[in-house]
Amino acid sequence: MKRLVMTFAVILVLFALSVIGCTNKELAGATPEPGEEVVSTCVTCHTDKDILQETATVEEEAKSEATTGEG
Amino acid sequence: MEVWEKVFVKDGDFLQSTHGKVGCVICHGGNSQEEDKGLAHAGLIIDPSDGNCNTCHQDLAQSHDISLHATLSGFESALEARGGDISEGSPLATAMENHCQECHTTCGQCHVSRPDELEGGLVSGHKFRETPSMQYNCIACHGSRVGDEYLGANEGIPADVHWTQATMICTDCHSQELHGSGEETESRYQNSNAAKCEDCHEDVWTNTEGNPQHEQHLGDLSCQVCHSVEYKNCYGCHVAIDVEGIPCRTSEPSVMQFEIGYNPLRSSERPYKYVVLRHVPTCSGTCDFYGDELLPNFNAASTWKYATPHNIQLHTPQNESCDACHDSTELFLTEEDIRAEEKEANKDVIVDEFPETVGK
Repeated sequence: MKRLVMTFAVILVLFALSVIGCTNKELAGATPEPGEEVVSTCVTCHTDKDILQETATVEEEAKSEATTGEG
Repeated sequence: MEVWEKVFVKDGDFLQSTHGKVGCVICHGGNSQEEDKGLAHAGLIIDPSDGNCNTCHQDLAQSHDISLHATLSGFESALEARGGDISEGSPLATAMENHCQECHTTCGQCHVSRPDELEGGLVSGHKFRETPSMQYNCIACHGSRVGDEYLGANEGIPADVHWTQATMICTDCHSQELHGSGEETESRYQNSNAAKCEDCHEDVWTNTEGNPQHEQHLGDLSCQVCHSVEYKNCYGCHVAIDVEGIPCRTSEPSVMQFEIGYNPLRSSERPYKYVVLRHVPTCSGTCDFYGDELLPNFNAASTWKYATPHNIQLHTPQNESCDACHDSTELFLTEEDIRAEEKEANKDVIVDEFPETVGK
């Protein structure tokens, strides 16, 4: 009986570990091995000067023209 | 800096670095699987410093969180010292929110990008720089006084010898100090990690042989009294909201002056009787836009403050001879140098006894 309980416990732990491993895909995918290429739309665009220039939107100037003197 | 340039990760090596391997989304949010720019940036965190850096850099992040760079308590203490009410919802609290909070510094604004005050932008691709850039980080905020002094940008005033002779950058002297000391302070001079001249020039204190000036004055004059030159003083700062609803400030043109006064921070750490004083931009009406009499005890704190100008020279006009200083009242902050409405506030730092002429 004791051996049965132990076996069940080990199976339960192994199952839990495999579930964690499967559901943590986002973290695993975001932490590539050394040398592995990071593939995401973030990297694709933010390492491409031409795409960034094409898609850039001019920000509104938030500085007041009434400001004078040194800060 | 162009808009696209601010977010251009030009150094591919970053992606293989410790921070790069973490992936973009974990720190910045957004959705890396979306191709549409708007959807990819939904929920984007531009500066993810808060709450992320302390995962690995706990000690530094905790120290930074209570440092002046994070708390801005220097502003608060200056207002409170003058009787200002900065409790939540008060007019001064609103003024602080509108005009002071922009100086808040996060980890990323020193180690990754330019500060918000300069509208951000990555400094070296996305590389995490252990040592911030002097030009794009330190001087970006500390430029008009310290930066200009140090680099010699004030017409007719030489640059600091630490720059001209040794090309030292800010962090060569100011290292741990920039993350605070682990204790809350109200002024940079309370920081126990603050840079001191003797950190490098210990020999000046241990061996005064052949240098009668040092022998005579090490204990009663701060180093800058003999070794700095004219520096920038600012007056009459007023803050307001302009017609378009944007915070603005105005101040009078700055003035290059050199003023020796009594030490307002005299302690065992800084025992000097005389120090160099700098006029801070504030005046009794600085916050008048937000209400009347918001600083009811304006005279409780001086407007000429303990200063450490960053234009150090070996030879200066005041140290060329004993009489250059002992025979001169020009170098000292006197009643005549103080605006009428500020005489009371500065009564403790105004010099009323001048050094006797040598030989008398």
